[in-house]
Amino acid sequence: MSLKNKRSSVKKSVSFSDDNTLTRNNLKKHVDHDNPPVYVRRTTLTVPWHIFALLYYYIYISNSYDTVALLYLLIPLQITYLVFQFNKSTVYGKKLLKIKLPLVLISLCATLLLTIPTTVIIILFGAPLIEKLFETWLLSLHLCFLAYPAVYQVFNGDFKVGLWKRYFVMIVVGAWTSCIVIPLDWDRYWQTWPIPVVVGGYLGALVGYSIGAFI
Amino acid sequence: MDERSIRKSLLGTSVEEKRLYRSRIQKFRKCHTLYVILLASLAALQFIAIAFFTRGFLLTRQVLDNVSSPFPNQYGKFDKAVVLVIDALRFDFVIPVDESHPQHNPNYHNNIKALWNDESLKGSSLLFKFIADPPTTTLQRLKGLTTGSLPTFIDAGSNFDGSVIEEDNLIKQLYLAQKNVYFAGDDTWSALFHPFLSAQSEPYPSLNVWDLDTVDNGVMSYFERHLLEGGQTRHRDWDVLVGHMLGVDHVGHKYGPNHFTMREKQLQVDEFIRKIIAAIDKDTLLIVMGDHGMDHTGNHGGDSIDELESTLFLYSKRPDMWQPNEDPNVYDVSDLGKNYKQVNQIDLVPTLSLLLNLPIPFNSLGWPLEEIATSKKEFDFNVRLTLQQLSNYKNVSGMVTNSERQAELDHLWNLAMENPKLGFDFQRNLLETCKDLWARFDFWSIGVGITLLVFSLILLLTITKLIPSIVVSQMVFEFVPWIIVMIFISNACFQGVFFVFQQPAFVSDTLWCSLLATAVGIVIGTFIPIFDRYNIKWMVVRFVEDLSEYWTRIGVLLLTVHALLFTSNSFTIWEDRIVAFLLITLGMLTLYEFVFVPKRQSTSALLTATISEKQGTASGASQSTANSDSFPLTRFARLLGAYHSIVLVVCTRIASTITICREEQGEYCTPTFTTETNYSLWCMGLCLVIVAMIPSCIKGYYNLSSSYQAAAPIWIDIFLKSFLFTNFIYWTLAALENSVSDWSWNITVLKFTISRIIAGFALIASNIGWMMGPLCIKLNLHNADTKSHRATILGYSNIYGAQYFLLVINALMGIFLFNKPLAQVSLYLMCNQMLSIIEIFHLLKLKENIVGPFALALLSYSQFFSTGHQATIPAIQWDVGFILSETITFPLTHLAIVLNTFGPLIITALTVALLTLWEQPPDVLKPQTLLGRLVSNCGLLLVYHTVLCLSSFVWVTFFRRHLMVWKIFCPRYLFAGMSLIVVQLVVTFGAVALASGRLIRQINDIFWK
Repeated sequence: MSLKNKRSSVKKSVSFSDDNTLTRNNLKKHVDHDNPPVYVRRTTLTVPWHIFALLYYYIYISNSYDTVALLYLLIPLQITYLVFQFNKSTVYGKKLLKIKLPLVLISLCATLLLTIPTTVIIILFGAPLIEKLFETWLLSLHLCFLAYPAVYQVFNGDFKVGLWKRYFVMIVVGAWTSCIVIPLDWDRYWQTWPIPVVVGGYLGALVGYSIGAFI
Repeated sequence: MDERSIRKSLLGTSVEEKRLYRSRIQKFRKCHTLYVILLASLAALQFIAIAFFTRGFLLTRQVLDNVSSPFPNQYGKFDKAVVLVIDALRFDFVIPVDESHPQHNPNYHNNIKALWNDESLKGSSLLFKFIADPPTTTLQRLKGLTTGSLPTFIDAGSNFDGSVIEEDNLIKQLYLAQKNVYFAGDDTWSALFHPFLSAQSEPYPSLNVWDLDTVDNGVMSYFERHLLEGGQTRHRDWDVLVGHMLGVDHVGHKYGPNHFTMREKQLQVDEFIRKIIAAIDKDTLLIVMGDHGMDHTGNHGGDSIDELESTLFLYSKRPDMWQPNEDPNVYDVSDLGKNYKQVNQIDLVPTLSLLLNLPIPFNSLGWPLEEIATSKKEFDFNVRLTLQQLSNYKNVSGMVTNSERQAELDHLWNLAMENPKLGFDFQRNLLETCKDLWARFDFWSIGVGITLLVFSLILLLTITKLIPSIVVSQMVFEFVPWIIVMIFISNACFQGVFFVFQQPAFVSDTLWCSLLATAVGIVIGTFIPIFDRYNIKWMVVRFVEDLSEYWTRIGVLLLTVHALLFTSNSFTIWEDRIVAFLLITLGMLTLYEFVFVPKRQSTSALLTATISEKQGTASGASQSTANSDSFPLTRFARLLGAYHSIVLVVCTRIASTITICREEQGEYCTPTFTTETNYSLWCMGLCLVIVAMIPSCIKGYYNLSSSYQAAAPIWIDIFLKSFLFTNFIYWTLAALENSVSDWSWNITVLKFTISRIIAGFALIASNIGWMMGPLCIKLNLHNADTKSHRATILGYSNIYGAQYFLLVINALMGIFLFNKPLAQVSLYLMCNQMLSIIEIFHLLKLKENIVGPFALALLSYSQFFSTGHQATIPAIQWDVGFILSETITFPLTHLAIVLNTFGPLIITALTVALLTLWEQPPDVLKPQTLLGRLVSNCGLLLVYHTVLCLSSFVWVTFFRRHLMVWKIFCPRYLFAGMSLIVVQLVVTFGAVALASGRLIRQINDIFWK
């Protein structure tokens, strides 16, 4: 009820909720020009080929799973992906929005900031508290930059998280599932922290960006 | 304000209403009794299933009562022997360890030099690394050391209950040879051998691991009297003098090896051995040995290298009695004696027999040490005698039925007869054959056990989840008669068939037959009323329907992942971390739910909403509160929920840092639950902090529903707080005793007084108090509107939950005393986790969902691990058994160990009822409906434990030939079975029978309409 009042008085509201039962009535009454329907087109354009390549590089080419080098490759490739692929398949109302350079930079910084809560969450999930802090932070950098295109769109769409949540969720699901291999006693090098979770996050992002529009 | 006046002030009573009320409460009583019987019979079904599986899986060995007869020739080298057993004498304790070695530790290295010091050893000595067979518990080792045979796993359980050995053994042979055996030390010996020991023997109680000196001082004064006094000339009336010292072992259990007490104890042992060496004469053989080792925590029972490696030392004053191996590398003591010569523990039996002119015990599988023969003739003689005994045992037992094996053994036997040097191969092969044979399983029993458990799971699921609880509360009136009738019929049928045809053959006697019949009767008796109304198709459809809901899926996912852990040894090893991970995942998911509120079709919430819409207003509660379930989450609820989720996640993460570490976790785990940390200053400081924190945290949760009224402050602020403080004093005393090195006051009596008073209060007095019915409500007269004569009842909305939680507090108090300081900190976190889980599922309106009980079950497992336990036998905290009594006393010791090991499981088994009762205002639901829902939640908790137990049954059977089965899978299966039994008992007789029946009756007594 308090939400309702707020909606009438404030023009733009920040809501992390996609539960629109409260606001459904409002939507019907007036076509919302402030919040045009946003969706991602169902094309093969969204398939992140570069993540394929990065995974291939990470597993087969790089020298014993060089996680830092992978990050240096990931960031520019994600920006390219955003500019040439992801942004071009995102429709605002009836039009495509041009890429905004300041927003690209702002969301880069935001992603960087996002790594702090991500690190905290990973530690809460059971990562070692101090000994492997750098590795954990590296992992959170990877996970956050995998979500970078979605972060940009969140900024672009006035912090409406509803549509973009699935991309974050898919990366998290990928990373979560990949934890399975950590306890196994295979004594492989790639079982060291955080390699399996990085790979899991990449796989999650791969699936997420490919089929995100179809869910 | 007593109940009567509240009732009077609230209710007008007409005769008609009273009659209605009485009949309703009578029906409720009957329904409640029937529910208890139904649950109890399902519990019985599961117990029978576990019994059958255990019977088939845990191996038994055929024990032959034959006794070897004496050999005509004389062959012994010695007339007399002194045997000194030093419990838990690990091999590296007695050899010189280089101080620069990374594992060198002055507390337990280089203290015992007597076995190594060449100057004092004039004569001949032999030192070996002595490899024990698992399980490394003293009783099993003594059996092995005297009979020369291998114990099986089931023997391990009887450590508390050693009874006389029936099979042939060394002591019996000594007795038959009319030798006098004097004994002093561990009373396990007198339990095992008392008919064969001299009346002069002095056994001492052995299992009080906190007593470091009584046994050792007893042994020393006994040796003083019978050996040391009067020097070598004195006539000695014993032939064999046995001493068994426990000091080193007890220091290990109490403090771990890395403690200054260990050094003191070892120096004492060293001096004692030197005295004995000086005192014996030329015709006396001295044997110093350990029965097993100890691991890095000082415990034993498993089969890690540290636990298996012990010491054997043979000494005689005569020169050149032995012929040591010429290659000095065989006796290489560098690197903690890693490459030192090993001998098997059972090899001692033929060795001693040959040295003391005794027949080799009939069941022995050992091989004499080659070093004891100084000439080829002697060696040949030893080999032939041993071979004869082995082959005799093989033929009489007739256990080698496999013709291939038989041929191989015959071949080896022939070779050995030609060349005695090859005799060793025959023994080795026979030993392997026996090991294989004694690992034979009874698949019929295993199959029956698994099948019965599957049926019990289906029944539990059907009754608690598939059929709506309202319908079940009608159906109990049919279940119980059917079950009773079917048990009788099935018993009659099975007993008849068994009596006449001796079928089914695998149930060896009438008892097992009637157990099987009872189980079948329960299954059929429960299925008849179910299939009377429903069919399999309906059940399957209903099951799939239930699975379509989001939170149910989450619950099922958590359970599936947990149950699948037993498919691999690595997952089972890391179960502690994985369980915490799953619980944190659940907390994160609820956090996500509260923050983002995604659109989900929550069927159960809708159902609750419609029901309360119909019934809510009748109670006089306002329309809005009664129907609050149908609204989406308010902003406040979301904030509160998010807060509780964060509390759950953070507490779980903090608790998961407390771990004892399995041995298999190796370098990836640093134990934080050690004696040192437990009694450290900061840990005791934390304990002092939680004395205040626990009451205030519980108070906070009570205040959420303003039920911190009437009985609650008494319970929480007075009872709980003073209990916690006294408990803190007790553990401070224990810590002081532990960490102050020159502690001289004897405070045993004081400690027992404190512990018994608080245990009596927590286990008995507080529960009697609860049975009186403490209410947590208060009439708020200040806010009363004088004109309308109405008053507010504070705590009305949580009247059930607030009162029920007082019972959980009682259980918590009972369990607190029996947990070590760091585990108490963990239990404090558990309080928060538990209440947060209940609040979360209350806010999400998931009171009927499976995820609530499943979350509690996960919590109980994660807390099991973080209170310093692991699913292994050495990890059981035996020392808490002596909190209430000095010696093993039947209920006290056992109760303490059960409460310590299964504490978190017991707490959650009681708490599960709170999922229904928390924030449940009276008079919204009929008493029977409430009971039905409560039983349904309890049943779901049982479902979780049953699935885990079933999974461990299946996988331990699958991995029965796995290398790690006795080390990892079997202890886990034992733990799963035990925890299912404990949870069943607590849920059925604690939560449902005793607590909720009385509670619901009392509240309805007051607020009936």
